Amino acid sequence: MNSRTRVIAAMLGACLISRGDASVRNSTTVLLPVKNDPTVSVRIWFKVGSEDDPPGKEGLAFLTAQMLADASTSQNTYEQILDKLYPLAAAYEAEVSVEMTVISGRVHKDNLKVYYPLLIDAITRPAFAPQDLERIRSQALNYLESTLRYSSDEELGKAALYNAIFAGTPYGHITAGTVSSLKAITMDDIRAFYRAHYTRDNLVIGLGGGYTSSLLEQIKKDLAALPPGVPPEQAPPAPAPIKGFTATIVEKDAPATAISIGYTIDVLRGSKDWYALAIANSWLGEHRSSSSHLYQFIRGARGLNYGDYSYIENFPQGGMRTKPPQNVCRRVQIFEIWIRPVPAQAGHFALRAALREYRNMVEKGLTKEQFQLTRSFLKKYILNYAPTTMERLGYSLDDRFYGIGGSHLARFRAMMGTLTLADVNRAIKKHLRYGDMAIAIVTKDAQAMRQELLDDAPSPITYATHKSDEVLAQDKEVAVFPVKLKAEDVKIVPVSEMFK
Amino acid sequence: MNILRTGACLLILATIGSAAMADSIFPYKARSTVLPNGLKVILIPMDSPGLVSYYSVVRTGSRDEVEKGKSGYAHFFEHMMFRGTKKYPGEVYDSIVTSIGASANAYTSDDITAFHLNFAAEDLEKVVEIESDRFQNLSYDLPAFQTEAGAIYGEYRKDITDPFAVLDEKLRDVAFDVHTYKHTTLGFEADIKAMPEGFDYSRSFFTRFYRPENVVLVIVGDINVEKTLKLIARHYGAWARGYLPPPVVQEPVQTAERSVAVTYTGRTLPILDLAYKGDAFDPSNTDFVAATVLGELAFGSTSALYKKLYIQEQRVEDLDLEIPFRRDAPLFEIGARVKKEDDLPAIKQEIEQTIAQFQSTPVDAKRLSDVIRRRRYGFLMRLDTPDRVAGGLAQIVAITGGIEAVDAYYSALSRVTPQDVMHAAAKYFVPSRRTVAIVKGTAQ
Repeated sequence: MNSRTRVIAAMLGACLISRGDASVRNSTTVLLPVKNDPTVSVRIWFKVGSEDDPPGKEGLAFLTAQMLADASTSQNTYEQILDKLYPLAAAYEAEVSVEMTVISGRVHKDNLKVYYPLLIDAITRPAFAPQDLERIRSQALNYLESTLRYSSDEELGKAALYNAIFAGTPYGHITAGTVSSLKAITMDDIRAFYRAHYTRDNLVIGLGGGYTSSLLEQIKKDLAALPPGVPPEQAPPAPAPIKGFTATIVEKDAPATAISIGYTIDVLRGSKDWYALAIANSWLGEHRSSSSHLYQFIRGARGLNYGDYSYIENFPQGGMRTKPPQNVCRRVQIFEIWIRPVPAQAGHFALRAALREYRNMVEKGLTKEQFQLTRSFLKKYILNYAPTTMERLGYSLDDRFYGIGGSHLARFRAMMGTLTLADVNRAIKKHLRYGDMAIAIVTKDAQAMRQELLDDAPSPITYATHKSDEVLAQDKEVAVFPVKLKAEDVKIVPVSEMFK
Repeated sequence: MNILRTGACLLILATIGSAAMADSIFPYKARSTVLPNGLKVILIPMDSPGLVSYYSVVRTGSRDEVEKGKSGYAHFFEHMMFRGTKKYPGEVYDSIVTSIGASANAYTSDDITAFHLNFAAEDLEKVVEIESDRFQNLSYDLPAFQTEAGAIYGEYRKDITDPFAVLDEKLRDVAFDVHTYKHTTLGFEADIKAMPEGFDYSRSFFTRFYRPENVVLVIVGDINVEKTLKLIARHYGAWARGYLPPPVVQEPVQTAERSVAVTYTGRTLPILDLAYKGDAFDPSNTDFVAATVLGELAFGSTSALYKKLYIQEQRVEDLDLEIPFRRDAPLFEIGARVKKEDDLPAIKQEIEQTIAQFQSTPVDAKRLSDVIRRRRYGFLMRLDTPDRVAGGLAQIVAITGGIEAVDAYYSALSRVTPQDVMHAAAKYFVPSRRTVAIVKGTAQ
């Protein structure tokens, strides 16, 4: 095997999928054996997420999952679990997104004997101890009331955008819920939610690394002890269409202004158009890439902020990671532009700059050079998406979610060899649009920002430093780029009202 | 000409380290080589089909910012390194990195500026070429410099919404009098504001610190050691020596307790931080090594105090003791977010009682061995990709100049006794060495 073939095989992962096992009826197993790997990676996926939260009980899926993975079992108290896990240098955790809940962990083979019963007990024998609930609920409340409202304007802006776009649908709240709904959730709610959703017919077992076949059989047998039942599936959300531009301005004592822009798109990973859009999106705003256009325009040439990116898939906690996460799949995705905080006086200008550059791409498409460079970039760059077995296992579960036969990452790479410039520009025309977009802004003087948006008045910018004639000429156009909003489409929300 | 020079270099390459020791914790063979100009290269072949991780570790961080008004320049300089050279201007450098699909980034901390790329093995030569070029020939003009200063301020603004960032800034300023750990890596805000005026100073930063004797390359993954060494010698061989160590003034011994009240604009649980003057990273210092396990024993998730305050009584949101690995003596910080403001004095007392107990009573031997076991497994389990191996070694490389200290540390760790832990607790965690910081938010 030459180096090029080996890299693909290793990084994209040959994945074994088996359906319909006798002991775990209707469930699916996703296997990723890695010879010589001294560790075992486990991801148990339950097909439940925050979209299943009943109205008024937003955050229930989240609390339930934490009551499994971060709490006592009928066999061990939480303290005993921490004591037993500690010397193993291992842990397990639950991650809840809109449509998925995954309980995962990785352990050295030497420590599997002690680790495995703890993990299985967490899933099949939760104690639902009141003391654990109070601890976990208090953490979630603190996250909403302090962390999200105050300490990261970037995540706050993105949450405001998603909540605005999906308002009134099961996607319309963040996973952690709201302050009042968290307080309303009872232990009975959690027990009932667990019984309904954590069934043996609603899970997928993901196993990777140096596991043995007997471990696989053991997991199947142990999870078969869960009750049967297929919970009803939520219909995909159908958010109200956005007309023109709408803006949610979150007012807080912020040192700078954070901006997010987006709208729903009708394309998902796996389809040819998705990969074509991935090229366009990467050129416009590849996450944390200094080569992408928005970054170059807003940060590179003008130094207005730390970075500017765009997305065609949900990318939570973007400030904390450089590569896409796994197991945050959704049946409805948005196209999203994320402008990291800019000085308040440059907020309107930065919004215009991002929209202007985005519109240029939508109207003109990519050039041949842009297409070729981005395609060759992605072809290799995606090898960095999943260097570990745990990450590849995550991607394999995502493949199941999206119904991708084979591997998304392998298809991604193959598509980079076959897609044409015409494919990309056709996909842009078909799936992306300019206008009818939601805007979320976190800023100090919300009234002033609102007035600027309503007036659509020029927003010239000055620099303390010398700029090229080209930049100054572009600035003149950006400063008057029309982004007209109507009074009824601009809403101001004090930060204390967010997630209330 | 190039070929001749390369040959000459190769003849006098000095291999100073080879396969790790028999009882080494580090599972890979490392080859450490010093070029005649002082550049050290650590090559670690690893079974990672087709992937390579390439770290350029500059042994300079915000610690080296000794001139008044110039805090934050190590980090600023990290940004400037992406602005290119005459041969490969910034946009050309970017397009090369883009065309090979490399994942490239950099970071700066107290003692280190690290530049790293992950890429396909077939692109190694191209990476050596562009990295060696920018380290030797960086070139930027005033407008590019001033524009980047704006991005730095943007980074400061995005970070300072975090109460822990505000705490770090104020705490260091009060805890240190003369040592450069007085400021954070981003620097004092006033200095960041003034950065657009610092063009000439920034150039001197490059000429003093970006020199081969002060840089270590750590290259891990699907590599051929001999071929890689030849490439490195060819491209870095002409890099001239000239490192000028900055006169970092050591902090005098603190003799009395200090305190600082920090106001956070926004809402946060009150944060209590007891920050003690510690010791620099040194595997031969038994007190230091013992202190690194004290965090888990006294305040970690299996400690009696954590169970009491976090799990049973639920009076704190978190609790920990952090012992950073640093080149000079940093702060050893015990931190807790306290749920009720009026509980702050009682929580402080609980922490002090725990310290007193560890100062007077030897820790249970089984717990100690559990902690040591976890440290070893935790270290091993993180070494699963080239990036994590290189990244996991970078800080030790920056502090000590090599990777030998990894084995030295884990070896010393395995010898730590309950008496050692008691001694470390008694040495470091005394009121005269500490600064007590309390953060409160303005919003309710």
